[in-house]
Amino acid sequence: MMQMTPIPMTIVQTLVMALIQIIAILAFIFVLVPMLTFAERKVIGYVQVRLGATRIAGGNRGLTGAVNKLMWWMGHFPVISFFRGLPIFMADGLKLVTKEDIMPAKADKFVFWLAPILCMVPAFAVFAAVTFYPGVLGVFPAWFPIVGGLPVTGYMTDINVGLLYILGLASVGVYGIVLGAWASNSKYPLLGGLRSAAQVISYEVPLTLSLLAPVILTGSLNFRTMSVDLATKMTPWAIIPLFIGFFAYLTCGFAETNRVPFDLAEAESELVSGFHTEYTGMKFGWFFLSEYTNMIVVSALATAFFLGGHYLLPFGLQQFVPASAGWIAQPHLIFFIGKIGFLLFVFLWVRATLPRYRYDQLMSVGWKYFIPLTLVNLFIAGLVRFMA
Amino acid sequence: MSLLRTLIPFDIYNGLKLTGRYFGRNFFSANRKKVKANLKHITVEYPEVPIHLAPRFRGRLQMLRDEQGEIKCICCLACERICPTQVITIEKDKKEGRKLPFPKVYTFEMERCIFCEFCVEACGYDSIILNHQFELAAYDREDFSHGTEGAFQNMFKPTPIGTFSVAGDDDANAPHY
Repeated sequence: MMQMTPIPMTIVQTLVMALIQIIAILAFIFVLVPMLTFAERKVIGYVQVRLGATRIAGGNRGLTGAVNKLMWWMGHFPVISFFRGLPIFMADGLKLVTKEDIMPAKADKFVFWLAPILCMVPAFAVFAAVTFYPGVLGVFPAWFPIVGGLPVTGYMTDINVGLLYILGLASVGVYGIVLGAWASNSKYPLLGGLRSAAQVISYEVPLTLSLLAPVILTGSLNFRTMSVDLATKMTPWAIIPLFIGFFAYLTCGFAETNRVPFDLAEAESELVSGFHTEYTGMKFGWFFLSEYTNMIVVSALATAFFLGGHYLLPFGLQQFVPASAGWIAQPHLIFFIGKIGFLLFVFLWVRATLPRYRYDQLMSVGWKYFIPLTLVNLFIAGLVRFMA
Repeated sequence: MSLLRTLIPFDIYNGLKLTGRYFGRNFFSANRKKVKANLKHITVEYPEVPIHLAPRFRGRLQMLRDEQGEIKCICCLACERICPTQVITIEKDKKEGRKLPFPKVYTFEMERCIFCEFCVEACGYDSIILNHQFELAAYDREDFSHGTEGAFQNMFKPTPIGTFSVAGDDDANAPHY
Protein backbone atom coordinates (compact mmCIF):
# COMPACT_ATOMS: atom_id res chain seq x y z
CA MET A 1 0.00 0.00 0.00
CA MET A 2 1.38 3.36 -1.01
CA GLN A 3 1.96 6.17 1.44
CA MET A 4 -1.23 8.22 1.54
CA THR A 5 -0.93 11.82 0.57
CA PRO A 6 -2.51 13.74 3.44
CA ILE A 7 -5.60 15.65 2.44
CA PRO A 8 -5.55 19.30 3.57
CA MET A 9 -8.03 19.73 6.43
CA THR A 10 -8.77 22.56 8.79
CA ILE A 11 -8.27 22.02 12.51
CA VAL A 12 -12.02 21.77 13.12
CA GLN A 13 -12.37 19.22 10.36
CA THR A 14 -9.47 17.19 11.77
CA LEU A 15 -10.99 17.26 15.25
CA VAL A 16 -14.46 16.30 14.05
CA MET A 17 -13.05 13.52 11.92
CA ALA A 18 -11.04 12.20 14.86
CA LEU A 19 -14.13 12.43 17.05
CA ILE A 20 -16.14 10.41 14.54
CA GLN A 21 -13.46 7.73 14.45
CA ILE A 22 -13.19 7.69 18.25
CA ILE A 23 -16.95 7.24 18.56
CA ALA A 24 -16.90 4.47 15.97
CA ILE A 25 -14.13 2.61 17.81
CA LEU A 26 -15.78 3.11 21.20
CA ALA A 27 -19.03 1.80 19.76
CA PHE A 28 -17.10 -1.18 18.40
CA ILE A 29 -15.63 -1.89 21.85
CA PHE A 30 -18.82 -1.27 23.80
CA VAL A 31 -20.76 -3.58 21.50
CA LEU A 32 -18.10 -6.28 21.34
CA VAL A 33 -17.35 -6.53 25.06
CA PRO A 34 -20.93 -7.32 26.22
CA MET A 35 -21.28 -9.69 23.27
CA LEU A 36 -18.07 -11.32 24.44
CA THR A 37 -19.38 -11.84 27.97
CA PHE A 38 -22.52 -13.37 26.49
CA ALA A 39 -20.47 -15.50 24.10
CA GLU A 40 -18.38 -16.65 27.04
CA ARG A 41 -21.46 -18.04 28.78
CA LYS A 42 -22.68 -19.75 25.64
CA VAL A 43 -19.37 -21.13 24.33
CA ILE A 44 -18.37 -22.57 27.68
CA GLY A 45 -21.91 -23.90 28.08
CA TYR A 46 -21.80 -25.71 24.75
CA VAL A 47 -18.36 -27.12 25.46
CA GLN A 48 -19.61 -28.47 28.80
CA VAL A 49 -22.76 -29.95 27.19
CA ARG A 50 -25.05 -27.29 28.61
CA LEU A 51 -27.11 -24.66 26.86
CA GLY A 52 -25.73 -21.62 28.66
CA ALA A 53 -28.08 -18.73 29.28
CA THR A 54 -31.46 -19.26 27.62
CA ARG A 55 -33.82 -16.97 29.51
CA ILE A 56 -33.94 -13.92 31.75
CA ALA A 57 -35.36 -13.73 35.23
CA GLY A 58 -38.95 -12.62 35.69
CA GLY A 59 -41.26 -15.55 35.01
CA ASN A 60 -43.77 -15.91 32.24
CA ARG A 61 -45.86 -12.75 32.58
CA GLY A 62 -45.46 -9.19 31.35
CA LEU A 63 -42.46 -7.90 29.44
CA THR A 64 -39.98 -10.50 30.69
CA GLY A 65 -42.52 -13.20 29.89
CA ALA A 66 -42.85 -11.91 26.33
CA VAL A 67 -39.06 -11.82 25.97
CA ASN A 68 -38.77 -15.33 27.40
CA LYS A 69 -41.46 -16.63 25.03
CA LEU A 70 -39.67 -15.01 22.09
CA MET A 71 -36.39 -16.62 23.12
CA TRP A 72 -38.11 -19.98 23.52
CA TRP A 73 -39.42 -19.63 19.98
CA MET A 74 -35.92 -18.76 18.77
CA GLY A 75 -34.81 -22.15 20.07
CA HIS A 76 -36.55 -23.85 17.16
CA PHE A 77 -33.89 -22.78 14.65
CA PRO A 78 -30.38 -24.20 14.56
CA VAL A 79 -27.96 -21.27 14.75
CA ILE A 80 -30.46 -18.62 15.86
CA SER A 81 -30.95 -20.66 19.01
CA PHE A 82 -27.40 -19.64 19.93
CA PHE A 83 -28.70 -16.14 20.58
CA ARG A 84 -31.28 -17.18 23.15
CA GLY A 85 -30.56 -15.30 26.34
CA LEU A 86 -29.08 -12.35 24.47
CA PRO A 87 -30.90 -9.79 26.71
CA ILE A 88 -28.79 -11.10 29.57
CA PHE A 89 -25.92 -8.87 28.54
CA MET A 90 -28.13 -5.82 29.10
CA ALA A 91 -28.90 -7.24 32.53
CA ASP A 92 -25.17 -7.65 33.14
CA GLY A 93 -24.48 -4.02 32.25
CA LEU A 94 -27.41 -2.73 34.28
CA LYS A 95 -26.28 -4.73 37.27
CA LEU A 96 -22.77 -3.26 37.10
CA VAL A 97 -24.05 0.30 36.74
CA THR A 98 -26.69 0.18 39.46
CA LYS A 99 -24.76 -1.80 42.07
CA GLU A 100 -23.75 -0.15 45.33
CA ASP A 101 -20.22 1.19 45.31
CA ILE A 102 -18.40 -0.07 48.41
CA MET A 103 -14.94 1.06 49.43
CA PRO A 104 -13.00 -0.57 52.28
CA ALA A 105 -12.68 1.73 55.28
CA LYS A 106 -8.89 1.69 55.34
CA ALA A 107 -8.38 1.77 51.60
CA ASP A 108 -6.21 4.40 50.00
CA LYS A 109 -9.05 6.46 48.55
CA PHE A 110 -7.23 8.24 45.75
CA VAL A 111 -5.32 5.22 44.47
CA PHE A 112 -8.43 3.09 44.83
CA TRP A 113 -10.14 5.44 42.39
CA LEU A 114 -7.10 5.79 40.17
CA ALA A 115 -6.48 2.07 39.62
CA PRO A 116 -9.51 1.19 37.43
CA ILE A 117 -8.91 4.31 35.35
CA LEU A 118 -5.24 3.40 34.92
CA CYS A 119 -6.35 -0.04 33.83
CA MET A 120 -8.97 1.10 31.38
CA VAL A 121 -7.53 4.19 29.67
CA PRO A 122 -4.45 2.45 28.17
CA ALA A 123 -6.63 -0.40 26.97
CA PHE A 124 -8.78 2.06 25.03
CA ALA A 125 -5.94 4.36 23.97
CA VAL A 126 -4.15 1.47 22.25
CA PHE A 127 -6.83 1.51 19.55
CA ALA A 128 -5.55 4.89 18.34
CA ALA A 129 -2.69 3.09 16.58
CA VAL A 130 -4.59 0.04 15.38
CA THR A 131 -5.31 -0.01 11.66
CA PHE A 132 -8.68 -1.55 10.96
CA TYR A 133 -8.43 -1.03 7.22
CA PRO A 134 -5.35 0.19 5.34
CA GLY A 135 -7.08 2.80 3.25
CA VAL A 136 -10.21 4.85 2.85
CA LEU A 137 -13.37 3.25 4.18
CA GLY A 138 -15.74 5.76 2.59
CA VAL A 139 -16.25 9.41 1.72
CA PHE A 140 -18.72 11.67 3.48
CA PRO A 141 -21.34 13.07 1.08
CA ALA A 142 -20.81 16.68 0.09
CA TRP A 143 -23.91 17.96 1.92
CA PHE A 144 -22.58 16.78 5.30
CA PRO A 145 -22.10 19.80 7.64
CA ILE A 146 -18.43 20.05 8.58
CA VAL A 147 -16.69 17.02 7.10
CA GLY A 148 -18.52 16.90 3.76
CA GLY A 149 -16.47 15.41 0.93
CA LEU A 150 -13.74 14.16 3.25
CA PRO A 151 -12.62 10.52 3.27
CA VAL A 152 -12.88 8.34 6.41
CA THR A 153 -9.73 6.31 6.86
CA GLY A 154 -9.74 2.88 8.46
CA TYR A 155 -7.17 4.00 11.03
CA MET A 156 -7.11 6.92 13.45
CA THR A 157 -3.44 7.80 13.37
CA ASP A 158 -0.67 6.69 11.07
CA ILE A 159 2.26 7.21 13.42
CA ASN A 160 5.63 5.73 12.51
CA VAL A 161 6.18 4.12 15.91
CA GLY A 162 2.70 2.61 16.23
CA LEU A 163 3.91 -0.71 17.58
CA LEU A 164 6.14 0.95 20.17
CA TYR A 165 3.20 3.09 21.27
CA ILE A 166 0.98 0.02 21.60
CA LEU A 167 3.55 -1.97 23.59
CA GLY A 168 4.29 1.00 25.84
CA LEU A 169 0.65 1.62 26.65
CA ALA A 170 -0.12 -2.06 27.08
CA SER A 171 2.45 -2.34 29.86
CA VAL A 172 0.92 0.63 31.70
CA GLY A 173 -2.18 -1.51 32.28
CA VAL A 174 -0.45 -3.63 34.92
CA TYR A 175 0.01 -0.52 37.07
CA GLY A 176 -3.75 -0.39 37.40
CA ILE A 177 -3.82 -3.96 38.66
CA VAL A 178 -0.94 -3.54 41.09
CA LEU A 179 -2.13 -0.18 42.44
CA GLY A 180 -5.69 -1.42 42.81
CA ALA A 181 -4.42 -4.45 44.66
CA TRP A 182 -2.26 -2.39 46.97
CA ALA A 183 -4.89 0.29 47.61
CA SER A 184 -7.51 -2.28 48.67
CA ASN A 185 -5.53 -2.81 51.91
CA SER A 186 -6.45 -6.46 51.98
CA LYS A 187 -4.34 -9.60 51.75
CA TYR A 188 -5.91 -11.42 48.80
CA PRO A 189 -5.82 -8.45 46.42
CA LEU A 190 -2.22 -7.78 47.42
CA LEU A 191 -1.21 -11.36 46.62
CA GLY A 192 -3.08 -11.20 43.32
CA GLY A 193 -1.47 -7.90 42.43
CA LEU A 194 2.04 -9.16 43.21
CA ARG A 195 1.49 -12.28 41.15
CA SER A 196 0.13 -10.20 38.32
CA ALA A 197 3.12 -7.88 38.41
CA ALA A 198 5.60 -10.76 38.29
CA GLN A 199 3.64 -12.50 35.56
CA VAL A 200 3.21 -9.46 33.34
CA ILE A 201 6.87 -8.49 33.68
CA SER A 202 7.94 -12.05 32.83
CA TYR A 203 5.72 -12.33 29.80
CA GLU A 204 6.33 -8.82 28.53
CA VAL A 205 9.75 -10.01 27.35
CA PRO A 206 8.71 -12.95 25.10
CA LEU A 207 5.68 -10.95 23.95
CA THR A 208 7.87 -8.13 22.70
CA LEU A 209 10.46 -10.55 21.32
CA SER A 210 7.80 -12.41 19.36
CA LEU A 211 6.53 -9.11 17.95
CA LEU A 212 10.08 -8.18 16.95
CA ALA A 213 10.11 -10.90 14.28
CA PRO A 214 7.51 -9.03 12.16
CA VAL A 215 9.43 -5.82 12.82
CA ILE A 216 12.61 -7.40 11.43
CA LEU A 217 10.77 -8.89 8.48
CA THR A 218 9.20 -5.59 7.44
CA GLY A 219 11.77 -3.14 8.74
CA SER A 220 9.07 -0.83 10.04
CA LEU A 221 7.21 0.04 13.24
CA ASN A 222 4.24 1.58 11.48
CA PHE A 223 1.14 -0.53 12.14
CA ARG A 224 -0.38 -0.04 8.69
CA THR A 225 2.81 -0.64 6.74
CA MET A 226 3.64 -3.70 8.83
CA SER A 227 0.26 -5.33 8.52
CA VAL A 228 0.07 -4.78 4.75
CA ASP A 229 3.69 -5.81 4.09
CA LEU A 230 3.42 -8.92 6.28
CA ALA A 231 0.45 -10.09 4.30
CA THR A 232 1.65 -9.37 0.78
CA LYS A 233 5.36 -8.68 0.47
CA MET A 234 7.01 -11.59 2.29
CA THR A 235 9.29 -14.26 0.93
CA PRO A 236 7.83 -17.77 1.27
CA TRP A 237 10.36 -18.57 4.03
CA ALA A 238 8.80 -15.90 6.24
CA ILE A 239 5.98 -18.30 6.99
CA ILE A 240 8.20 -20.16 9.51
CA PRO A 241 8.97 -17.23 11.85
CA LEU A 242 5.42 -15.94 11.49
CA PHE A 243 3.96 -19.35 12.35
CA ILE A 244 6.13 -19.87 15.43
CA GLY A 245 5.74 -16.23 16.41
CA PHE A 246 1.97 -16.45 16.23
CA PHE A 247 1.72 -19.20 18.82
CA ALA A 248 4.35 -17.62 21.05
CA TYR A 249 2.59 -14.26 20.81
CA LEU A 250 -0.85 -15.73 21.46
CA THR A 251 0.36 -17.60 24.55
CA CYS A 252 2.08 -14.51 25.92
CA GLY A 253 -1.05 -12.55 25.09
CA PHE A 254 -3.07 -14.93 27.25
CA ALA A 255 -0.61 -14.25 30.07
CA GLU A 256 -0.64 -10.49 29.43
CA THR A 257 -4.42 -10.27 29.67
CA ASN A 258 -4.58 -12.51 32.77
CA ARG A 259 -6.81 -15.01 31.04
CA VAL A 260 -7.09 -18.72 31.73
CA PRO A 261 -4.74 -20.68 31.88
CA PHE A 262 -2.61 -17.81 33.21
CA ASP A 263 -5.24 -16.13 35.41
CA LEU A 264 -3.15 -16.26 38.54
CA ALA A 265 -3.94 -12.63 39.29
CA GLU A 266 -7.56 -13.55 40.02
CA ALA A 267 -7.25 -17.22 40.88
CA GLU A 268 -10.67 -17.59 42.42
CA SER A 269 -9.89 -20.91 44.07
CA GLU A 270 -6.88 -19.52 45.93
CA LEU A 271 -7.33 -15.75 46.19
CA VAL A 272 -10.99 -14.85 46.52
CA SER A 273 -11.12 -12.87 43.34
CA GLY A 274 -7.55 -11.64 43.15
CA PHE A 275 -6.79 -7.99 42.65
CA HIS A 276 -10.42 -6.84 42.33
CA THR A 277 -11.76 -8.59 45.43
CA GLU A 278 -12.61 -5.30 47.15
CA TYR A 279 -14.01 -3.62 44.06
CA THR A 280 -17.74 -3.42 43.46
CA GLY A 281 -20.13 -1.74 41.09
CA MET A 282 -18.83 0.25 38.18
CA LYS A 283 -15.26 0.38 39.48
CA PHE A 284 -15.17 -3.39 39.13
CA GLY A 285 -16.89 -2.86 35.79
CA TRP A 286 -13.92 -0.82 34.54
CA PHE A 287 -11.51 -3.62 35.45
CA PHE A 288 -13.80 -6.06 33.70
CA LEU A 289 -14.08 -3.85 30.63
CA SER A 290 -10.33 -3.32 30.48
CA GLU A 291 -9.67 -7.07 30.67
CA TYR A 292 -11.98 -7.76 27.75
CA THR A 293 -10.70 -4.75 25.82
CA ASN A 294 -7.17 -6.08 26.30
CA MET A 295 -8.34 -9.37 24.82
CA ILE A 296 -9.58 -7.48 21.75
CA VAL A 297 -6.25 -5.62 21.53
CA VAL A 298 -4.24 -8.84 21.69
CA SER A 299 -6.48 -10.40 19.07
CA ALA A 300 -6.15 -7.33 16.83
CA LEU A 301 -2.35 -7.37 17.06
CA ALA A 302 -2.14 -11.12 16.42
CA THR A 303 -4.47 -10.67 13.47
CA ALA A 304 -2.54 -7.78 11.97
CA PHE A 305 0.98 -9.17 12.38
CA PHE A 306 0.56 -12.91 12.05
CA LEU A 307 -2.81 -13.76 10.54
CA GLY A 308 -2.58 -11.61 7.45
CA GLY A 309 -4.41 -8.60 8.84
CA HIS A 310 -6.87 -7.14 6.38
CA TYR A 311 -6.22 -9.83 3.79
CA LEU A 312 -7.79 -13.26 3.69
CA LEU A 313 -4.92 -15.70 4.11
CA PRO A 314 -2.76 -15.89 7.25
CA PHE A 315 1.04 -16.18 7.76
CA GLY A 316 2.01 -14.33 4.59
CA LEU A 317 0.31 -16.88 2.35
CA GLN A 318 -1.54 -13.99 0.72
CA GLN A 319 1.49 -13.41 -1.55
CA PHE A 320 0.57 -16.52 -3.56
CA VAL A 321 -2.81 -15.02 -4.49
CA PRO A 322 -2.50 -13.16 -7.81
CA ALA A 323 -3.63 -9.55 -7.76
CA SER A 324 -6.20 -10.35 -10.44
CA ALA A 325 -8.09 -12.73 -8.15
CA GLY A 326 -10.83 -10.22 -7.36
CA TRP A 327 -12.08 -9.72 -3.82
CA ILE A 328 -9.80 -12.44 -2.42
CA ALA A 329 -6.76 -10.35 -3.28
CA GLN A 330 -8.21 -7.15 -1.84
CA PRO A 331 -8.05 -6.06 1.81
CA HIS A 332 -11.37 -5.88 3.55
CA LEU A 333 -12.62 -4.74 6.94
CA ILE A 334 -14.66 -7.94 7.29
CA PHE A 335 -11.51 -10.11 7.16
CA PHE A 336 -9.93 -8.14 9.99
CA ILE A 337 -13.02 -8.17 12.21
CA GLY A 338 -13.68 -11.83 11.43
CA LYS A 339 -10.17 -12.87 12.43
CA ILE A 340 -10.49 -10.86 15.65
CA GLY A 341 -13.74 -12.68 16.32
CA PHE A 342 -12.11 -16.05 15.72
CA LEU A 343 -9.24 -15.25 18.07
CA LEU A 344 -11.69 -14.10 20.73
CA PHE A 345 -13.43 -17.45 20.31
CA VAL A 346 -10.04 -19.11 20.81
CA PHE A 347 -9.72 -17.21 24.10
CA LEU A 348 -13.02 -18.71 25.27
CA TRP A 349 -12.19 -22.12 23.83
CA VAL A 350 -8.91 -22.27 25.73
CA ARG A 351 -10.67 -21.11 28.88
CA ALA A 352 -13.09 -23.99 28.55
CA THR A 353 -10.26 -26.46 28.02
CA LEU A 354 -7.19 -25.78 30.12
CA PRO A 355 -6.81 -25.64 33.90
CA ARG A 356 -4.76 -22.93 35.58
CA TYR A 357 -0.97 -23.25 35.65
CA ARG A 358 0.82 -23.49 38.96
CA TYR A 359 2.86 -20.41 39.78
CA ASP A 360 6.28 -22.01 39.30
CA GLN A 361 5.12 -23.68 36.08
CA LEU A 362 3.99 -20.28 34.84
CA MET A 363 7.37 -18.75 35.57
CA SER A 364 9.37 -21.64 34.11
CA VAL A 365 7.26 -21.69 30.94
CA GLY A 366 7.82 -17.98 30.55
CA TRP A 367 11.54 -17.79 31.27
CA LYS A 368 12.86 -21.22 30.28
CA TYR A 369 10.87 -21.89 27.14
CA PHE A 370 9.28 -18.81 25.67
CA ILE A 371 12.21 -16.44 25.85
CA PRO A 372 14.63 -18.92 24.15
CA LEU A 373 11.90 -19.87 21.66
CA THR A 374 11.19 -16.29 20.70
CA LEU A 375 14.92 -15.53 20.52
CA VAL A 376 15.42 -18.44 18.11
CA ASN A 377 12.40 -17.22 16.19
CA LEU A 378 13.97 -13.76 16.05
CA PHE A 379 17.16 -15.33 14.66
CA ILE A 380 15.15 -17.18 11.99
CA ALA A 381 13.38 -13.95 11.09
CA GLY A 382 16.72 -12.19 10.76
CA LEU A 383 17.99 -15.03 8.57
CA VAL A 384 14.92 -14.79 6.33
CA ARG A 385 15.36 -11.04 6.07
CA PHE A 386 19.08 -11.48 5.30
CA MET A 387 18.40 -14.02 2.55
CA ALA A 388 15.73 -11.93 0.86
CA MET B 1 12.41 -35.45 24.59
CA SER B 2 10.76 -33.60 27.43
CA LEU B 3 11.89 -30.34 25.87
CA LEU B 4 10.27 -31.36 22.60
CA ARG B 5 7.03 -32.27 24.36
CA THR B 6 6.97 -28.87 25.99
CA LEU B 7 7.67 -27.03 22.78
CA ILE B 8 5.11 -28.97 20.75
CA PRO B 9 2.13 -29.10 23.09
CA PHE B 10 0.32 -32.24 21.96
CA ASP B 11 -1.65 -32.38 25.20
CA ILE B 12 -3.05 -28.91 24.68
CA TYR B 13 -3.83 -29.82 21.09
CA ASN B 14 -5.70 -32.96 22.18
CA GLY B 15 -7.65 -31.05 24.81
CA LEU B 16 -8.63 -28.34 22.37
CA LYS B 17 -9.66 -30.96 19.84
CA LEU B 18 -11.96 -32.64 22.36
CA THR B 19 -13.63 -29.45 23.56
CA GLY B 20 -13.85 -28.16 20.00
CA ARG B 21 -15.64 -31.32 18.94
CA TYR B 22 -18.13 -30.96 21.78
CA PHE B 23 -18.64 -27.30 20.97
CA GLY B 24 -19.32 -27.98 17.31
CA ARG B 25 -21.72 -30.81 18.04
CA ASN B 26 -23.69 -28.83 20.59
CA PHE B 27 -23.63 -25.56 18.65
CA PHE B 28 -25.42 -27.13 15.70
CA SER B 29 -27.84 -29.31 17.63
CA ALA B 30 -28.98 -26.95 20.36
CA ASN B 31 -32.63 -26.68 19.43
CA ARG B 32 -35.86 -28.39 20.37
CA LYS B 33 -36.75 -29.72 16.91
CA LYS B 34 -34.11 -32.34 17.49
CA VAL B 35 -35.99 -33.61 20.56
CA LYS B 36 -39.11 -34.28 18.57
CA ALA B 37 -37.18 -35.87 15.72
CA ASN B 38 -35.67 -38.17 18.38
CA LEU B 39 -32.15 -37.15 17.47
CA LYS B 40 -29.34 -36.73 19.89
CA HIS B 41 -29.84 -33.62 21.94
CA ILE B 42 -27.40 -32.13 24.35
CA THR B 43 -29.54 -31.60 27.41
CA VAL B 44 -33.09 -31.49 28.76
CA GLU B 45 -34.81 -28.13 28.72
CA TYR B 46 -36.76 -29.26 31.72
CA PRO B 47 -39.60 -26.90 32.59
CA GLU B 48 -40.61 -26.46 28.95
CA VAL B 49 -39.88 -29.89 27.55
CA PRO B 50 -41.29 -32.67 29.75
CA ILE B 51 -38.70 -34.94 31.22
CA HIS B 52 -38.66 -38.57 30.16
CA LEU B 53 -39.06 -40.74 33.25
CA ALA B 54 -38.32 -44.43 33.58
CA PRO B 55 -41.48 -46.58 33.94
CA ARG B 56 -40.54 -47.65 37.45
CA PHE B 57 -39.92 -44.10 38.67
CA ARG B 58 -41.21 -43.74 42.24
CA GLY B 59 -43.22 -40.58 42.65
CA ARG B 60 -46.11 -39.69 44.95
CA LEU B 61 -48.43 -42.31 46.46
CA GLN B 62 -51.81 -42.44 44.72
CA MET B 63 -54.92 -44.60 45.31
CA LEU B 64 -56.67 -46.33 42.45
CA ARG B 65 -60.35 -46.98 41.73
CA ASP B 66 -61.78 -49.91 39.77
CA GLU B 67 -64.04 -49.71 36.71
CA GLN B 68 -67.14 -48.99 38.78
CA GLY B 69 -65.44 -46.09 40.51
CA GLU B 70 -65.11 -47.98 43.77
CA ILE B 71 -61.94 -47.64 45.85
CA LYS B 72 -59.86 -50.75 45.31
CA CYS B 73 -58.40 -50.69 48.83
CA ILE B 74 -59.88 -53.28 51.19
CA CYS B 75 -58.10 -52.15 54.36
CA CYS B 76 -55.79 -55.13 54.84
CA LEU B 77 -53.36 -52.66 56.51
CA ALA B 78 -50.37 -54.31 54.80
CA CYS B 79 -49.08 -50.93 53.60
CA GLU B 80 -49.54 -49.35 56.98
CA ARG B 81 -47.64 -52.16 58.65
CA ILE B 82 -44.71 -52.30 56.23
CA CYS B 83 -44.18 -48.54 55.94
CA PRO B 84 -40.72 -47.78 57.44
CA THR B 85 -41.60 -44.20 58.30
CA GLN B 86 -45.24 -44.87 59.22
CA VAL B 87 -46.74 -42.22 57.03
CA ILE B 88 -49.92 -44.19 56.20
CA THR B 89 -52.91 -44.24 58.58
CA ILE B 90 -56.02 -46.22 57.70
CA GLU B 91 -59.39 -46.36 59.43
CA LYS B 92 -61.69 -49.23 58.50
CA ASP B 93 -65.38 -48.76 57.86
CA LYS B 94 -68.36 -50.65 56.40
CA LYS B 95 -70.37 -49.38 53.50
CA GLU B 96 -73.79 -50.29 52.01
CA GLY B 97 -73.51 -52.69 49.08
CA ARG B 98 -69.81 -53.44 49.56
CA LYS B 99 -68.76 -56.76 50.99
CA LEU B 100 -65.18 -55.86 51.73
CA PRO B 101 -64.09 -53.18 54.22
CA PHE B 102 -63.81 -49.63 53.04
CA PRO B 103 -61.11 -47.09 54.07
CA LYS B 104 -63.01 -44.30 55.78
CA VAL B 105 -59.75 -42.47 56.39
CA TYR B 106 -56.59 -43.07 54.40
CA THR B 107 -54.00 -40.47 55.36
CA PHE B 108 -50.65 -40.18 53.66
CA GLU B 109 -48.19 -37.69 55.10
CA MET B 110 -45.82 -37.01 52.23
CA GLU B 111 -43.43 -34.86 54.26
CA ARG B 112 -42.01 -37.98 55.89
CA CYS B 113 -42.37 -40.39 52.96
CA ILE B 114 -39.09 -41.84 51.68
CA PHE B 115 -40.60 -43.14 48.41
CA CYS B 116 -39.38 -46.70 48.97
CA GLU B 117 -42.40 -48.33 47.28
CA PHE B 118 -42.68 -51.01 50.02
CA CYS B 119 -46.41 -50.18 50.38
CA VAL B 120 -47.05 -50.84 46.70
CA GLU B 121 -45.13 -54.12 46.86
CA ALA B 122 -47.01 -55.18 49.99
CA CYS B 123 -50.43 -54.41 48.52
CA GLY B 124 -52.08 -57.62 47.34
CA TYR B 125 -54.91 -55.91 45.50
CA ASP B 126 -52.99 -53.40 43.31
CA SER B 127 -54.95 -50.60 44.89
CA ILE B 128 -52.13 -48.09 45.29
CA ILE B 129 -49.29 -46.97 43.04
CA LEU B 130 -46.46 -44.49 43.15
CA ASN B 131 -47.23 -42.22 40.20
CA HIS B 132 -44.74 -40.32 38.05
CA GLN B 133 -45.08 -37.01 39.80
CA PHE B 134 -41.91 -35.47 41.14
CA GLU B 135 -42.72 -31.76 41.35
CA LEU B 136 -43.89 -32.07 44.94
CA ALA B 137 -42.75 -28.80 46.48
CA ALA B 138 -45.45 -26.88 48.34
CA TYR B 139 -45.69 -23.65 50.26
CA ASP B 140 -47.80 -25.05 53.08
CA ARG B 141 -47.06 -27.96 55.36
CA GLU B 142 -50.68 -29.09 55.17
CA ASP B 143 -50.35 -29.50 51.43
CA PHE B 144 -48.20 -32.52 52.18
CA SER B 145 -51.06 -34.37 53.91
CA HIS B 146 -53.17 -36.38 51.53
CA GLY B 147 -56.32 -38.26 52.43
CA THR B 148 -59.75 -39.34 51.36
CA GLU B 149 -61.78 -37.11 53.67
CA GLY B 150 -62.46 -33.44 54.27
CA ALA B 151 -60.16 -30.92 52.64
CA PHE B 152 -57.58 -33.54 51.73
CA GLN B 153 -59.46 -35.58 49.15
CA ASN B 154 -56.49 -35.72 46.84
CA MET B 155 -55.29 -39.27 47.21
CA PHE B 156 -56.92 -40.13 43.89
CA LYS B 157 -55.45 -37.52 41.60
CA PRO B 158 -52.03 -36.04 41.15
CA THR B 159 -51.20 -32.95 43.14
CA PRO B 160 -52.01 -29.79 41.19
CA ILE B 161 -48.80 -28.13 40.03
CA GLY B 162 -48.04 -24.50 39.26
CA THR B 163 -47.41 -23.34 35.71
CA PHE B 164 -43.94 -21.99 35.32
CA SER B 165 -43.18 -22.77 31.73
CA VAL B 166 -42.60 -20.09 29.12
CA ALA B 167 -43.41 -22.50 26.34
CA GLY B 168 -46.40 -21.97 24.10
CA ASP B 169 -49.54 -24.11 23.98
CA ASP B 170 -48.02 -26.60 21.58
CA ASP B 171 -45.54 -27.62 24.21
CA ALA B 172 -48.06 -27.69 27.06
CA ASN B 173 -49.87 -30.75 25.67
CA ALA B 174 -47.50 -33.26 27.11
CA PRO B 175 -48.05 -33.84 30.83
CA HIS B 176 -45.17 -33.37 33.20
CA TYR B 177 -45.57 -36.73 34.91
